[in-house]
Amino acid sequence: MIISNMSQFNALLGKELKEAFRDKRAMMLAMMMAVMAPVMIFTMSKVMIKEAVETPAIYLKISGTEFAPKLIDALNDENILLFSDVPSDKKTIWDERNLTLTIPASFNQDMLGGKTIEVYLSADYSEKANLSPVRRIKNTINNYTRAIGYKRLLVRGIDVRLLQVVKIIEQDTSLPNSNAMIISMMLGLYLLMAAFMSGLPVAIDASAGERERNVLEMLLCQPVSTVKIVAAKLCCASLIACIGVLLTLSLTSFSVSFIDLTKIGASFSLDTFTILALLLLLVPICFFASALQLFVAFQSKNFKEAQSMVSMIIMLPAMVPVVMMFVDDKPKWLEWLPISGQALIMEDLFKGLPVSWSLMGFTGLVTLVMTIFLVLLMANKLRSETVVLALS
Amino acid sequence: MIEVTNLCKSFGGVKKGLFRKQENPVIALDGLSFRANDGEITGILGPNGAGKTTCLRTLYGLLKADGGSATIDGINVVNNPLGARARLGIFPDKFGLYERLTAYEQIDYFASIHGLQGDAKHQAIETVINDLEMTELAHRKTLGFSQGQRMKVTLAQALVHQPKNFVLDEPTRGLDVMSTRVLRNYLARFKDKGHCILFSSHVMQEVAALCDRVIIVANGKLAAQGTPEELCELGGETNLEEAFVKIIGSDEGVAA
Repeated sequence: MIISNMSQFNALLGKELKEAFRDKRAMMLAMMMAVMAPVMIFTMSKVMIKEAVETPAIYLKISGTEFAPKLIDALNDENILLFSDVPSDKKTIWDERNLTLTIPASFNQDMLGGKTIEVYLSADYSEKANLSPVRRIKNTINNYTRAIGYKRLLVRGIDVRLLQVVKIIEQDTSLPNSNAMIISMMLGLYLLMAAFMSGLPVAIDASAGERERNVLEMLLCQPVSTVKIVAAKLCCASLIACIGVLLTLSLTSFSVSFIDLTKIGASFSLDTFTILALLLLLVPICFFASALQLFVAFQSKNFKEAQSMVSMIIMLPAMVPVVMMFVDDKPKWLEWLPISGQALIMEDLFKGLPVSWSLMGFTGLVTLVMTIFLVLLMANKLRSETVVLALS
Repeated sequence: MIEVTNLCKSFGGVKKGLFRKQENPVIALDGLSFRANDGEITGILGPNGAGKTTCLRTLYGLLKADGGSATIDGINVVNNPLGARARLGIFPDKFGLYERLTAYEQIDYFASIHGLQGDAKHQAIETVINDLEMTELAHRKTLGFSQGQRMKVTLAQALVHQPKNFVLDEPTRGLDVMSTRVLRNYLARFKDKGHCILFSSHVMQEVAALCDRVIIVANGKLAAQGTPEELCELGGETNLEEAFVKIIGSDEGVAA
């Protein structure tokens, strides 16, 4: 009896897999995430490194250049140039940004008199693109002022150290890995998304699709328990989700190796241990995601409805981690629930903090229990009359 | 042997709730009883909406009767649905194919579900494919099959495990003359081997030619039963069609 039970399940699963792998559109969609993630991470890190390392030229509209030639020289040393020198292709950009510095005519006189000179820097501070230029301009001018101020004190025979009453010595306790936070956060998000996205087309096709093609009714007339039917469909969809996750992981670790993160003092590597831990963490999520999708898809009357309903589920892995970023005091139960629990452990894993294996096991267990509950619920629903009546 | 006793089933009739109006239930089956014996072909006749499909769906265990019982080889379909279905070959009124599988793979799938394995399974599949004369179709994907070809695949998957009881819901619709003859011969051979065959149809000549016994269902009840000849006598007509119209008391059923 047990052997025949297994062979029945194998036949069910074999057929689901055959159908899934022959559905080219579904497979393409499933693997899209895996290819997209590394490309996104690669380009974003490139941009980040460029912004952090290089000091691109800033073109500043200065009125009264003739009053403070030395200040202009200091700015030029930091690659902050006059607007009159802007190359024609960038002229409109810098004209729109409209960074202006106004130097008063009394600059030289006040300097000699030891008075505070007021220069005006005007810019749209809410514009994100202006933040870095404004910071650099301010730093340069502050440094220039401080250098002159120190000289004035020294000339008067005063130790400049008197100015520094308290000095903060900063000690950053974050591990070296933490600097690659953005990359790892994005990777975490992508992995969760991959777990949800990759199995999606297969899950919809195996439930709502089969119902629409009238093959579900025939299957329900066969001497096979609905639990087995649902379990076979779930195994197939989640297997493909797992493949999607695995591909995302391996392609990402491959593409990240091309980026020189040391330039921004960060290191990011996916070693075998991390990859294994991530997989252990994500396999239950793959099952949970597929079960959730099957559950929703079985409820809907046709393929179209299933597609729109299930796309709402995809919001979960995208929303939950983002929302959690804004919760400072995380309640304990967040660590136990599916998705949020995994997201938290993944964060620790990427930061290089020690992973609590018991917590990881517990979250996995909760996820699996919820999956099994969904499977039983679905199997029960497939036995009910309402589902059969909805078939016709 | 398939036996149906006093089967009742109604749909709708939702109790008055906060958002629902009181609806009158639709009575699909109203105390239907009949028996289909082994070694016989039993035909179910009835106008559209008489409750044929509801009755057959109750036999498959897809619907639960409000009253009465249905047994297959003495196994109650409510108490042991899997056991009952294992003795049943089903050709449903609505069917689809797995379009990404070949005909052979699909038949193989259903054979495995019925617990066939290894050489016995392959033997059974080959036999049914040869019997239904569909060797040419066997290794093609079912996408784009004609109605008749789809019908054959569905028949093959219903028959592959050589079920003791065989229920067909309008099996000959869409089949060409040649295929219909193949099916008829096949059913006749099945009958001779002692299987029980129950099939619904709207084609009177076919029922008259093929069935040993005919059951006429109208308004969810048994209207008459007997051999085609007996029914003709009962209606006082020479052909079954006229007799059928007389027995059900209107001619709306034949128009369909």
